[in-house]
Amino acid sequence: MLITRRTLAASAVALAAIRPARAAGVIKIGAVNPYSGAMAQYGDEVTRCFELACAWQNEKGGVLGRELQIVRGNATSAQEGIAAAEQLIGRDKVDILTGTYVTAISNAASENALNNGKLYWETNALARDLTDRGLPNFARTGPSSNEFAARSVEAAVQIVAAKLGKKAAELKVWIEHEDSAYGTSIMQEQVRLFKAAGVPHGVGSHSARAIDVTDSILRAKGYAPDLWISTAYVTDTNLLLRAARDQGFKPAGIMLLGVGDTAETLQALGAEFLEGVMLISYPRPDINETYGPGAANFLKLYKAKYNREPIAPQGMNAFVGMKILFEALAAAGTTEFEAVIAAAAKLDKPISAYETGYGVKFDAKMQNTRAFPVVAQWQSGEVRAVYPVSAAKAGVTVVNLPRA
Amino acid sequence: MAELANILTVGLLLGGIYALVSVGLNLIFGVIRIVNFAQGEFVMLGMYGAFAANAALGLDPYLAGIVVVPALFLLGAAVYWLILRPLQGEPMMQIFATFGLLMVLENLVLAGSRGVSVSVNSLVSQMSVAIGPVQIGLSRLIVLAAACLVSLALGLFLTRTMPGRAIRAVAQDRKAARLMGINVDVAFTASFGIGAALAALAGCLLAPLYTMSPQIGMNFIMPAFAVVVLGGLGSVLGAFVGGIIVGLTEALAGFYLDPALKQAVLFMVFIVVLIVRPAGLFGHAGAEEMGLRDVT
Repeated sequence: MLITRRTLAASAVALAAIRPARAAGVIKIGAVNPYSGAMAQYGDEVTRCFELACAWQNEKGGVLGRELQIVRGNATSAQEGIAAAEQLIGRDKVDILTGTYVTAISNAASENALNNGKLYWETNALARDLTDRGLPNFARTGPSSNEFAARSVEAAVQIVAAKLGKKAAELKVWIEHEDSAYGTSIMQEQVRLFKAAGVPHGVGSHSARAIDVTDSILRAKGYAPDLWISTAYVTDTNLLLRAARDQGFKPAGIMLLGVGDTAETLQALGAEFLEGVMLISYPRPDINETYGPGAANFLKLYKAKYNREPIAPQGMNAFVGMKILFEALAAAGTTEFEAVIAAAAKLDKPISAYETGYGVKFDAKMQNTRAFPVVAQWQSGEVRAVYPVSAAKAGVTVVNLPRA
Repeated sequence: MAELANILTVGLLLGGIYALVSVGLNLIFGVIRIVNFAQGEFVMLGMYGAFAANAALGLDPYLAGIVVVPALFLLGAAVYWLILRPLQGEPMMQIFATFGLLMVLENLVLAGSRGVSVSVNSLVSQMSVAIGPVQIGLSRLIVLAAACLVSLALGLFLTRTMPGRAIRAVAQDRKAARLMGINVDVAFTASFGIGAALAALAGCLLAPLYTMSPQIGMNFIMPAFAVVVLGGLGSVLGAFVGGIIVGLTEALAGFYLDPALKQAVLFMVFIVVLIVRPAGLFGHAGAEEMGLRDVT
């Protein structure tokens, strides 16, 4: 075919006509999470809340005049995280990647996203290292493991020591952790903060795959702590608590980080034993509406769409992470990662701006410095936020401390 | 002293768990000479079976064995007949087949449960007794008692009954056994079924102790292999004593050294025993070739 200047000009006009049409199309967000395997229920829950946030935003006209759409990429390991990112970018043509329930998956998938020039918007993965890498395409809206550790130390001093009528230097704390990088990194930060606060503490570890953890409980019991803090996974947390019950280990306070706040632990231990157990947890939809404006509405949206209660508090954290992304996209005017990161870096909202009680202000490594977990407690078979006091609903206070 | 008594008790009770899990594994190895990688998954199925029996029939997990143990016997027999029997004469392929079975069972439960961990409680599981300074969970005591009874019963079955003697005869020399009129295929199928049924019994009794996940079988299988090799391949008594030794080693190392080191200490003991007694404590030299021995 002979290409004349006229056909070239016509083609250019046609292309120009197509561009706005593409701009008005869908913004595809690839959600990298485990949707099969042992962590599927939490991966699913996080992505369900991404989808909820997109539906909520689409009702308001989307972002940049474009509809938002979540595309799922299944990853149960770091290696699968790379494959999922490749597939989402190459086959599904997503504009942005997001996630992630598991740190190792986030770590691998976000590096792959950078290689492909895409933004990786992290909402849930915890390890501090993720932002410490300083990847130019990476930002995290939720709290990191350091914030969880800091909140636990704060709770030990502000809640437990106060309730026991002890000064920080008189409080004895046992830090139990599972011995992989997850539990160890949180323990190290707790040790640093407890030292700084002058709180005497002992440290014990166990394998998350251990058949028996009674030895760990006996070591802790020998230390006679006022407060026993544990960072572990669901199954070993339940095993530790059962061993504590069997061994008659009754510290004045029990505190669990990141887990222990779901039906899995309630089913294993029962409401009576769990009464008063403290939980360092993502803010839940039950928090005070003044602290987390819109939390009740989130719960309403979730129930309307899925016809049940949220499975885990990770969901609302993911929902808020998406909302912050939408604001960054709107400010950037594009999905290009350099522009979105630059726009996000300028976001500045005070604490209690979102459903979770978060504000937004990113530090130089793009970690949101205004995202904090709360202290919750098992009370009559339900988990209720108790600290900060402003996060607790009216009438909800700390119970069963010291433990009966 | 109280501290030592406490930790020795913990080790003994843990040993009961290991012995109970290992005895079926050792039977299968002793008779059929297959290292059954899927044995932990049979334990896992036993645990989920107890959960299902509790949910569907309201059975206490300690009574769930009435339903679950026969079911796993049938499953084990079917697995042997349909998967392992066609691979007779290909021992490596049989081992790979059991590994494949491990993956199939784990992922089937994973797909069914969507990875949600579940627990089943019994009234007994929340009770503990204090003997002086020593605190003992009743559910662990039941497991230890069951391990003693099962080992004793299996030993008696193999030495005092005709089917048991037939199994031992097949284990010692399958050609001679066949010449004596013993149906070798039936003996092997029954042995694999009994091994799976013992795993199911272990699963039912352990169910109130653990939060179940589809991967929990893997947690049991590594120490179980150590128990079997330490006690002596093919020896029922070896599986029991090996379990107790492994339990005590883990508890003492975990308490007096560091919980993170207990696996390292256990496998150091394991290596030393292998060097000093390559056949294990109660095994006979060549048991890996000969199979189940008279020492039961």
